[in-house]
Parts: sequence; C-alpha cells; structure tokens
Amino acid sequence: MDGRTLIYIDRHLVHEVTSPQAFDGLRMNKRRVRRTDLTFATMDHNVPTSNRSLPIVDQTSATQIQTLERNCKEFGIPLFDLHSPYQGIVHVIGPELGITLPGTTIVCGDSHTSTHGAFGAFALGIGTSDVEHVLATQCLVLDKPKTFEIRVDGKRKNPHAVTAKDIILSIIKKIGTGGGTGTVIEYRGQAISDLSMDERMTICNMSIEAGARAGLVAPDEKTFEYLRGRMYTPKNYDDLVDSWRRDLKTDVGASFDRSFSLNAEDVAPQVSWGTNPAMTTDVTGAVPRPDEYARGSKSEESAAAKALEYMDLTPGTPMTDIRVDRVFIGSCTNARLQDLVEAASIVKGRKVSGNVRAMVVPGSQQVKKSAEELGLDRIFKDADFEWRESGCSMCLGMNPDILSRGERCASTSNRNFEGRQGSGGRTHLVSPVMAAAAAIAGHFVDVREWV
Amino acid sequence: MAGKVIKYERDNIDTDVIIPGQYLKLHDYSEIAKHAMEGIDPDFHGKVEPGDYIVAGKNFGCGSSREHAPIALSHCGIKGVLAVSFARIFYRNSVDGAFLLPIEIDEQTYARISDGDKLEVDTQKNEIRNLTKNETYGMKPFSEIVAKIISAGGLFKYVPE
Repeated sequence: MDGRTLIYIDRHLVHEVTSPQAFDGLRMNKRRVRRTDLTFATMDHNVPTSNRSLPIVDQTSATQIQTLERNCKEFGIPLFDLHSPYQGIVHVIGPELGITLPGTTIVCGDSHTSTHGAFGAFALGIGTSDVEHVLATQCLVLDKPKTFEIRVDGKRKNPHAVTAKDIILSIIKKIGTGGGTGTVIEYRGQAISDLSMDERMTICNMSIEAGARAGLVAPDEKTFEYLRGRMYTPKNYDDLVDSWRRDLKTDVGASFDRSFSLNAEDVAPQVSWGTNPAMTTDVTGAVPRPDEYARGSKSEESAAAKALEYMDLTPGTPMTDIRVDRVFIGSCTNARLQDLVEAASIVKGRKVSGNVRAMVVPGSQQVKKSAEELGLDRIFKDADFEWRESGCSMCLGMNPDILSRGERCASTSNRNFEGRQGSGGRTHLVSPVMAAAAAIAGHFVDVREWV
Repeated sequence: MAGKVIKYERDNIDTDVIIPGQYLKLHDYSEIAKHAMEGIDPDFHGKVEPGDYIVAGKNFGCGSSREHAPIALSHCGIKGVLAVSFARIFYRNSVDGAFLLPIEIDEQTYARISDGDKLEVDTQKNEIRNLTKNETYGMKPFSEIVAKIISAGGLFKYVPE
C-alpha cells in the first residue's frame, strides 16, 4: 500500500471523549463494529471523582457518558461503566484486566496509549477518524516508524526517592518535546530492567511527551508474572509465555535509527518549572533564566520567557522555595498501586500543610480497592488528603477537578501545558513521592532527605 | 483563493491550547470552533475568516490525540496550518478527517511570513505564494498516500478505492 502498511489491531480501547463521532460515523454509513470481542470501553476523562451514587451535575458530561453507554449497548461492546468494579483510567485497566498483552497491537483514542508499551505491546494513540476506521475494519494504515533506543544504565541511588517519573522527565528534559518525533522508543538497560511493571508504565506513558509514536520495553519474567491469571489473560497462557520468551526480546546487535543514553545514578528528583515537560530541572536546582535554558535558540528563549510569565516564576528561585496551593496524585502516569504505596510512605503520620488542598485519585476501582485493603486510604485521609473515586480527574481539566486561575499545583500527571489543569492554572510535574512531600511541606522539598 | 496569515511565533503549540479540555464534552463542531485557540489567543475567533492560514514553529499540535483540535480550527475557517514541524497525531487527524492541510515549511519560510500576509497555497506545485510580499516559497511535498487521502477528501473516502 504505497509503502505504508496495513496493520491488524489486536486490542482497541474506547472511552467517552474521542468515540462519539466515530460511532456516529458507523451509524451514518450503516457499518457495524468488526470485532466486538477485541474492543473494550470505559469512561474516565470527564467522570466526577466524588460520590458515585449522586447524579452527574454537569449535563454535557452526563450526556457524553450516557452516549458511550448507548453506543456500547447498540454495537455490542463490553463496557466498564461508572458503577463497575473494574472502571478506571483506560490505560490503568487495560493491563490490570489482562487486556494488554506482549507482542500485540493496541490502539485507543488517547495519546497516552503508549503506556501499554511497558508490556512489549505496540501501542498507539489515534484520533477519532482512526477510531472509526478501527471500529469498522479492525485495521490501521501505518507508515513504518523509525526506531529510537533509549538506554538507562546504572542503578538509581535512592530508588524510594528517585522514581521512574524522574527518569522519564530527565530523558524528556534532555531530548526535548520533539526529540522522539516519528520514532518508536525502546527503553532498555539495567535501570529499566530493574523497574516494576507499574514503573515501566510510567516511563512508556510519557513517550508521547517526547513526541514519539510509541514507547516500549521488551517483556521479561516480571511482565509475564504481572499478567498471569487476570480477567482477560488467555487460557493457553503458559504456551504464550514460552513463545514471548523466545521471540519478544531485543535482538543481539539490533541497530536503531537513533540512540540516547542516560545513567540512572545521575538522576535526581525532578520538578517542571515551565509549560512543557522538557522545561524541568532537578529539585536541587533553581528556576533558569530563559537564555540559560535556551542555549542559543531564540525560539526556546522566548518560549521560556513566556512560560515563566505564565508560571509567575523568577529566574534564580530555588525550586524548593516554590510554594504550592494544590497537590494532585493521580492520572494514567502515576495512579497505580505502587505510586500510592510510595506516596503513602511519605505521608504516614504527617499532615498536609495548612494552606494546601491535596487529593489522591486512584487510577481504577481495582487500584482503589487494593489500596484500601492495605489501609492507604486511612493514611491519606488521616493526613487530610481527599481520597476519591477513579478517573482522569485533575490531569486534564475536563471534569469538576480543576485548578482555579493562578493556583499552583504539584501534579503527578504528564502535561504542564498552559491551562491543562484549568484555565490559568499552574502545573509542576513531579513524582508521587515528591507530590506527597510537597503537600506536607507546602513547598517542593528534596524527598531524598525524607527517605 | 487567498487567505490571510494568523501567525504564532512559538514552537510546541499543544492541543490543550488549541482546544482546552473543558470543551471536549461538546459534540457540535460549530460550538467547538467557538473556542479554537482560546488557550493562547482569546481574540482568535473574532479575527479568523474562512480560508485563513495559521503559521507556527516546531511540533505544532503536540499533546493529546483529540481530533477536536483540527476540527475546531477547520470549522472556524482555517484552511491550512503552515508549521516547521507537526506532532504526528495532529497531522494524521488533519488528513484523515480532511479537516485542514498540514503544510511543513522550512525555518526561512517561517521567518519570512508575517502575521496578516495574504497567501495562496498550491499543493499541486508545492508552492506557497505570498501575495503581500510578492514572494514564493516551497513546501515539503505530501507523501504519496497523504496526497491521495487529501485528494479523496479523507480516509473513509480514500479506502474504497
């Protein structure tokens, strides 16, 4: 096909925001969903994270949610709805339910679909036209992407304080928001192998923030154990694992179109100061001058100046002097069980600073349940964190959880774009332990001093 | 037919500023269009006219996969975006939905074109004519398949061929 490839899609994940027009298109052209058995839906982007027994106040949200319910019923697609014990952020529930498998192709109308690459899947975010195309044909037209090797060798010095989030922010800081454009990133090296599956998902999740089409990690024994016995894990699992173990590893002497490497020993806790994820620095650093950040690029210099104005920050301010109004622990980047366990370890026995409003939004109902079984909800609530229902929440400002104009937030999400968390809101991207510590102290702290 | 340029001298114009998240709940394209570029240019809706072009720097449309971004721009009349580079999903959405022309230009062309200039874009000859400055620039030609999808009027019209 003109040098482009038509690939078959093994798993298609659907949510309420990017699907309504796609279903309209199917209806208009009298098409059905080609593989309802490979298509799974949930609602996550605009769901309230407060009491689920109450009706949804925002009528446009309610309509979008009801539209997904109606579409799933009409077209025969399994749906984990607001009252399902399996509802959650689409990229959290895919792996959790064993829908995500090594060696598969996965698409979803969401850019953070790259998350599933942590399992050695080829996982792409697509737009609504392509969602419609996949619903109708189960195929996607694709150019062969370029390959980008990112090696992270060495050992993190303090893995309780220096997390997967700090590794990926450090990578994006170095290669830039367009550094991965047109490529699929393979993350490899000792520090990647050392990561748990939850942590690998954090890394792959933010591949899109470097402009990459997808990111992945070759599956290993951790991957195979994670997926064993989950709801949709195939029956012939041991046979599959044998074939994955044999086939899905990085070829010895593999060549890549590009390579970049980082030593995990050099990674410190990260805090973003600007309005894209590359505008990030070590917590021990200070807000940079625009020219210092830009290193000779006029456009980067003006972007940094605009960012500082938007963020209301002055060059030279130590990152640890920046005070926060809000703390958000959640999102498809950092709302899995390990994230909450680590954040709780910082919070335990402490209190949220008097002028900070802090919330924890588990990535799924299953994460919430597991966390409650470990007593994490009590730890957070005792410290005056809000403990909420699962959803995308304050990551993207399209549900009731938003920042007010001028509010400053330590957020475990993935994007610090202008207005992302609410018009005029100011986002600092950090790890869950850094967010937890900022909530307690009221300003950023080097969490290595706490653990 | 010529269109005027609305220029943003910045890189990384993300889909959250092209159409902020709060408007993704809207279903009606003309309603979505009212909020185009609201994140960085609240006056945009007042100055845009049918046939206009946006000119911007690198990595235009980065971030979310929301097709609402090209939809919002196209439904308030934007015919094409001329940028030094595009984020992949935005580019693909623009073409597959036949919303607008994503045109890659080089740094020199980006520097030459000013806000308010009148442009004509000729995708057959891969030429951009600046009627205000009486200059002509090249554009990066579309790949074969992108050109076919564009001339078919979108992915769904192309597929049956």
